[in-house]
Amino acid sequence: MENLPFYQSQGSEIELFERAWRNNLPLLIKGPTGCGKTRFVAHMAAKLNLPLYTVACHDDLTAADLVGRHLIVDGQTVWSDGPLTRAVREGGICYLDEVVEARKDTTVVLHPLADDRRILPIDRTGEILAAPPSFMLVVSYNPGYQNFLKGMKPSTRQRFISLAFDFPSAAREEAILIGETGVDEMLAKRLVSIANAFRALRDHDLEEVASTRLLVYAATLIKDGCEPTLACQAALVETLTDDPETAVALREVIDATFGL
Amino acid sequence: MEEYVGELWHKLVTRVADKQHVGAAVSLDEISKTAAIFFRALGGDAGLNLSAAPSTRHGARRGWRDRLASSGERVELSWRDGETLRLPEKIDLFTERSLNRDLYLWLVALSAADVNDSLPWIVRNQTATLATLARFPGLGSRYNRLVDALLPLRTLPSKLPSDEAAQELAIRQALQQPGSIHTLPLSKKPFQPVPLWTHPSPPVSVSNKVSTSDGAPEREQSDDKNVAKSRRKHAAERTDMPDGKDGFLMMFRAESLFSWTEYINVNRPQDEEDDIESAALAAEDMDSMTVARDGETTVAKLRFDLDLPAAGEDDAPLGEGISLPEWDYKKQVMQPDYCRLQECISPQAQPCELPPHLRRTARRLRSQFQALAPTRTWLKGQQDGEEIDLDAWVRQEADLLSGAHADSRGMYRAQVNQQRDLACLLLADLSLSTDAYASDHARVIDVIRDSLFLFSEALSATGDRFAMYGFSSLKRGNVRFNRLKSFDDRYDGLARGRIQAIKPGYYTRMGAAIRQASALLAAQPQRQRLLLLLTDGKPNDLDRYEGRYGIEDTRMALHQARQLGLRPFCVTIDNEANEYLPHLFGVGGFAVIRKPEDLPKELPLLYAQMTR
Repeated sequence: MENLPFYQSQGSEIELFERAWRNNLPLLIKGPTGCGKTRFVAHMAAKLNLPLYTVACHDDLTAADLVGRHLIVDGQTVWSDGPLTRAVREGGICYLDEVVEARKDTTVVLHPLADDRRILPIDRTGEILAAPPSFMLVVSYNPGYQNFLKGMKPSTRQRFISLAFDFPSAAREEAILIGETGVDEMLAKRLVSIANAFRALRDHDLEEVASTRLLVYAATLIKDGCEPTLACQAALVETLTDDPETAVALREVIDATFGL
Repeated sequence: MEEYVGELWHKLVTRVADKQHVGAAVSLDEISKTAAIFFRALGGDAGLNLSAAPSTRHGARRGWRDRLASSGERVELSWRDGETLRLPEKIDLFTERSLNRDLYLWLVALSAADVNDSLPWIVRNQTATLATLARFPGLGSRYNRLVDALLPLRTLPSKLPSDEAAQELAIRQALQQPGSIHTLPLSKKPFQPVPLWTHPSPPVSVSNKVSTSDGAPEREQSDDKNVAKSRRKHAAERTDMPDGKDGFLMMFRAESLFSWTEYINVNRPQDEEDDIESAALAAEDMDSMTVARDGETTVAKLRFDLDLPAAGEDDAPLGEGISLPEWDYKKQVMQPDYCRLQECISPQAQPCELPPHLRRTARRLRSQFQALAPTRTWLKGQQDGEEIDLDAWVRQEADLLSGAHADSRGMYRAQVNQQRDLACLLLADLSLSTDAYASDHARVIDVIRDSLFLFSEALSATGDRFAMYGFSSLKRGNVRFNRLKSFDDRYDGLARGRIQAIKPGYYTRMGAAIRQASALLAAQPQRQRLLLLLTDGKPNDLDRYEGRYGIEDTRMALHQARQLGLRPFCVTIDNEANEYLPHLFGVGGFAVIRKPEDLPKELPLLYAQMTR
């Protein structure tokens, strides 16, 4: 267990994940970008000692991309498993990141896997795979993106138990920065204070707010010897806004925290 | 002559007395956006809006130069109430521009601190200073610089009578060591204003506080509030005046002669118009500032003056009006909150069917446009895909066996959704000019109505998202934005009823309508967004919105629409349109329909061509 990815627990999510896994329940994780969803899944896979197959979903993701397809190799057709099929065969965790980005018809292949049948029919080969007890399906999405066209079908959504993530409390976030990058406590405090100032601007001036991931980036730069205001400008200000006047205001917040 | 000498004298003495540093001045306009975001980031209430503080008399001792020029007796200090964060309109206290800017940001930071308002002024400011510095330690050096720069500007305690000197010493200590002073010594004269702190007795909260604390009857309380409101109004008026310099001159001269309100009426920036015009303008000015707050009297007067339809007959307003800016090309400035746009909806509209004379065309258009609706297709010969393209593979194998050169084309089939990711907003000109006859038996408005009908029929067949609005205007205070079908409304009998109910009226303030339409369209998630303008002539309105002014404002609005990622396109029946439309929409950005009666049929076809 030496390679366990660092994860700072925010509450009872680890316990809940383990219960879901033991009882063969699929899990849906929702939360803003960079709040630790993917890291949490990686951490749990390592903790439970399971292989992890991560699929980043996108508009063009088809069912074949998940299940598998025929390929032509040396004049022969060869069936090639997709990540979902492989995870079922090996009894691992299949993690579909940003599942709402996938087309609605794609997510339908998850249905037989995500209820009590726990099977994966592969219609192109006629095979029906039964998932072993250790297989677990985890999907995540970011409810912040108000994409009216997409959105999960209720029939898909109601096959999962759901876990809501949010940015950690200030103390936990400081612990994360220290644990991830080894910065000192004072710096972690200041970075978190900047992040929380920026988070107050959500929906008003910024579309997306500073994620924990961006804070880790900033802390990494500073740890590497970068000047703090410069690091924050590169990791936070310019990443969050393209508007010059907003950027000026954000820089003022950073100056107000680090001093001139 | 007397006046001339007076003016010279005024210029002389004010220059002598003027402690302010014009070159280093920072105005609220240039910093307002930064300040607002900074305020919210520091935890300030996001619902507050930012505005300039009116100057208030401080009553403190002034130097002999100031007294001679009767300047320096007013000061702009910042304060915060339930709705607004007020900051000085401009800060030119220090010789260095950066310090003036720092003072703005410091005042913003101070106002964002959450401090108990019931504390005495001096304690409240020290507490807020401490809280702000604790949360944002980086502000410490800035604060120290400001204090260091401020102290030399204040009258030395040694030059003051003893009671004022004690007061001044306390303030100085509170500035240098916040938290160390608990009470402010009393003195006969008020203390000198402290620009680094908030207003000791802001006009608004004082009146509220008085009326609540002494338990006055409700009536009186509302009177008090009115006083506060009128004060607020003047503040707004003052910031709105473009010719600030003259205003300042006037203010000094007028101050001893007229009350504040009278002064405003005399010194309106647009004084060229004749009397009736300017009276209407005055009403309009007041309207744009105060209708929402001051209630009915102004509105009634306005209605009478400007001959708007009575409330019963008029379209029902939707929500409060929207303030929109307007571009003044002569000054090259965007005039903020210059127009008032009111979205409205026709209340008498009854659900109806398509008029009989359009049914045949509509049926044909529907079937044509259904071909544009999204379909799902298989693409062959792809490098990657769900299925093997057996035809391609067999062909390649055969080529290989026969020794021919095998080209490495893709051998997979992929399924694609050819989606039309498109939203369209149609903006129709409903000005009075559309009342003219376009042909022997139809007015322009009838042609526009038919066009709207057929356009909706065609678009509802494609499944594209669309909205339709009409617009007209009566000067800048009354831009009417008539909702026929919003993006969320269904195209049904009621929408048809609203199209049926459109009627011509008023003028064409195009810029404001385009700005509002752009805002609505930009909120749509579709990738392609088309802003379709249907008009019969140039932008024009009763006030100076005509000729170049109107054209340039419209051009600026269109430029902004393009920056939002929208695609504006104009369809017009004005035969002279070639003179000004290229300037507005660019080559290929408009179409002129020579025979107006063809418009209903042409419009859907143009749309199909544009979105194919």
